Amino acid sequence: MLNALLKKFTGHKSSSDTAKKRLNFILVCDQLEVNDSTLKNLQSDIIQVISRYFEIDRDSLQLEVQRGKDSSALVFNTPILCVRKGLASIVSDKGDKGGQKSYKKKKK
Amino acid sequence: MRCKLEGRIIVITSGKGGVGKTTATASIGAAIALEGKRVAVIDMDIGLRNLDVVMGLENRIVFNIVDVVNGKCKLNQATIRDRRIENLFLIPASQSDNKDVLTPAGVEQVGKILKKEFDYVLMDSPAGIERGFENSVVSADEAVVICTPDVSSVRDADRVIGLLYARSITPKLVVNRIVPEMVARGDMLSHEDVIDVLSVPLLGLVPMDQQVIISSNVGLPLVMQNDSTAGQAFRRIARRLNGESDLPIQVPSHKKGMWGMLARKFSKK
Repeated sequence: MLNALLKKFTGHKSSSDTAKKRLNFILVCDQLEVNDSTLKNLQSDIIQVISRYFEIDRDSLQLEVQRGKDSSALVFNTPILCVRKGLASIVSDKGDKGGQKSYKKKKK
Repeated sequence: MRCKLEGRIIVITSGKGGVGKTTATASIGAAIALEGKRVAVIDMDIGLRNLDVVMGLENRIVFNIVDVVNGKCKLNQATIRDRRIENLFLIPASQSDNKDVLTPAGVEQVGKILKKEFDYVLMDSPAGIERGFENSVVSADEAVVICTPDVSSVRDADRVIGLLYARSITPKLVVNRIVPEMVARGDMLSHEDVIDVLSVPLLGLVPMDQQVIISSNVGLPLVMQNDSTAGQAFRRIARRLNGESDLPIQVPSHKKGMWGMLARKFSKK
């Protein structure tokens, strides 16, 4: 308990957290029978589409899986650096906050 | 023997091998028998039998489950009575055949007879999800899934849980080999994490315990060792299975309290 708290304060990630994250991801892939390359392709497609509108930091992209009771969600998280010039007027309402896209898929 | 009895057939399975299915079957079986119920434990791991050695009954095998299913002997000829625990019976696997000698249809037939003879029938399923698994679950009314708090075991458990749901069985989960110290320092998945990931009802938690190896060395029932933490955990699991579903689940913890932890923390540095 104390250790867990200490780790939280120091920003140190415990290996069990990593295990849980990995497991959630693996299980969703297993259940959807999606392989790694499909997800990689999906990721690069999403990057392409978003890049048309925003300047994003490709290195800090995160693809995460959230498992719920009846549905699971692929959550794609990326910080947006700035809006592409010429498009500013179209997307000005979104500003330069972190954007989030989520794709819901029904579990089998 | 008896005729009006309608027993419960419970399959004990895991997907992954080496997580403690056989130990769990032997221990839960012995513990339910100690509660006064008539219990048969059946080794379904054809070709790789082990339940007999874990229970210390390997010298008394004449016939096995394959002989029963194929009609080579009567059910009671293959049934070995445990002399230390009243009401506990073992039907061993065959060591020379492979898993394909049994068919689900054949096992189902025997299952019907077993239900009339025993209050509880525990099927010790082999690892894997092929024919051996099919044979073990075909006549099961309920299922207990064993997993350990590591990624490969949890992943395989998830697969098996899916297969059980497909047969309209809602399995109950036992998390085995918990090391409380590792959970406390965040280096082992906690049982909450495991339940979170698998989302099935929890039946019990079993701590890592050296007594498991010691008991299997000598072929003595783990649940009769009062100093075995795992044995005590299995006894609680058996009670919960046997109608006492309100019995609280005990979370394994290391005995030293917060001060002990503090002391260890500082002694390391």
